[in-house]
Amino acid sequence: MAGASMKDIKLRIKSVQSTMQITKAMQLVASSKLRGARNRMEASRPYMEIAQRAMKDIVSHNLAEDSIYAQRREVRHRLYVVIAGDRGLAGSYNANVYKSIDWDGMPEGSYSVITIGRKARDFFQRRKVEMPAQIERVENLSVEDCEPLAGEILRGFEAGEYDEVVLCYTTFRSVLTQTPVLRNLLPLEPVQAEGRQRQMLCEPGAEALLRQFMPQYLSGVIYSAACDAFASEQAARRVAMDSATKNAGEMIEDLNLRYNRARQSSITQELTEIVAGAEHS
Amino acid sequence: MATIQLTVVTPEGKLFEGAAERVIVRATGGDVCVMARHIDFSTSLGKGEGRVTLPDGTVRRAEIEGGMLHAASDAVQIITNHFTWKEA
Repeated sequence: MAGASMKDIKLRIKSVQSTMQITKAMQLVASSKLRGARNRMEASRPYMEIAQRAMKDIVSHNLAEDSIYAQRREVRHRLYVVIAGDRGLAGSYNANVYKSIDWDGMPEGSYSVITIGRKARDFFQRRKVEMPAQIERVENLSVEDCEPLAGEILRGFEAGEYDEVVLCYTTFRSVLTQTPVLRNLLPLEPVQAEGRQRQMLCEPGAEALLRQFMPQYLSGVIYSAACDAFASEQAARRVAMDSATKNAGEMIEDLNLRYNRARQSSITQELTEIVAGAEHS
Repeated sequence: MATIQLTVVTPEGKLFEGAAERVIVRATGGDVCVMARHIDFSTSLGKGEGRVTLPDGTVRRAEIEGGMLHAASDAVQIITNHFTWKEA
């Protein structure tokens, strides 16, 4: 009886130990990937800021009010660009991205989704959402990879298929905090002007400028967001695997204690049996 | 001579940040030169050579394809996906 339970505990310890080896390895991989991902993210952040500021500047100078890129229309169909991870085991990283939008609250068919990352694709495939385009891998994404997405977004927006385009990804604040964010890509939003408006010259006219710059702008912004999201994913995975490793360690300690107790009681029982046998003879 | 604050930014990173005397780029409507005290100005860029004159007089050349140039209050930004310095 005691022997069988000792064997069971031994087996549990072995299995928890091998799980711990895996989580430990995943944590190390995530840490080393995080380093590279952070560098790429930090390099790509200025583009997002500067490009968006320049766009807002043009739109707020009322130069582009006739442009279709700045006109607000009634939103009948929205396009979401969702960036999530390629793999799971990153805590609630992937779930948090999906949760930032109330999918069930929207009538079916009122939105389409462009996904970046395998997990995002699987999620929306299960929900049978229309996906006009997708990229399977977030890791090592290049700006060129984002160009077809930008093309599809612009084609659909210009044709009136999408009335609003929203980018949905996770932004990296620190290794411990990553926040899901929604960013409106189209139509462009003006900033509230303060004080006297400065004059601004646009060549060859705001509409033509936006039309020419838009494909580069969108692919650049999507790339930049993907870098941010990838760094967040690695950080989330590192933290999740770190706590999993710690939990496994605690579990092994606990099981060791139980194992020793079982061993002790089996020895005691054996001794009692020997003593009882000796008394009888 | 008065200078402008030039920033060259691509999605892969900032390639230049600092003072410059003048910037010449190939815009879609032809070459454009921006110097200090220029009116606020935006233009889309074509494919061609860009030249940046630094305050010490040296000229740096670069290959630029697409993107835009945005100038507001002596801060000039070149925002493009394709920018490569041609170092002599």
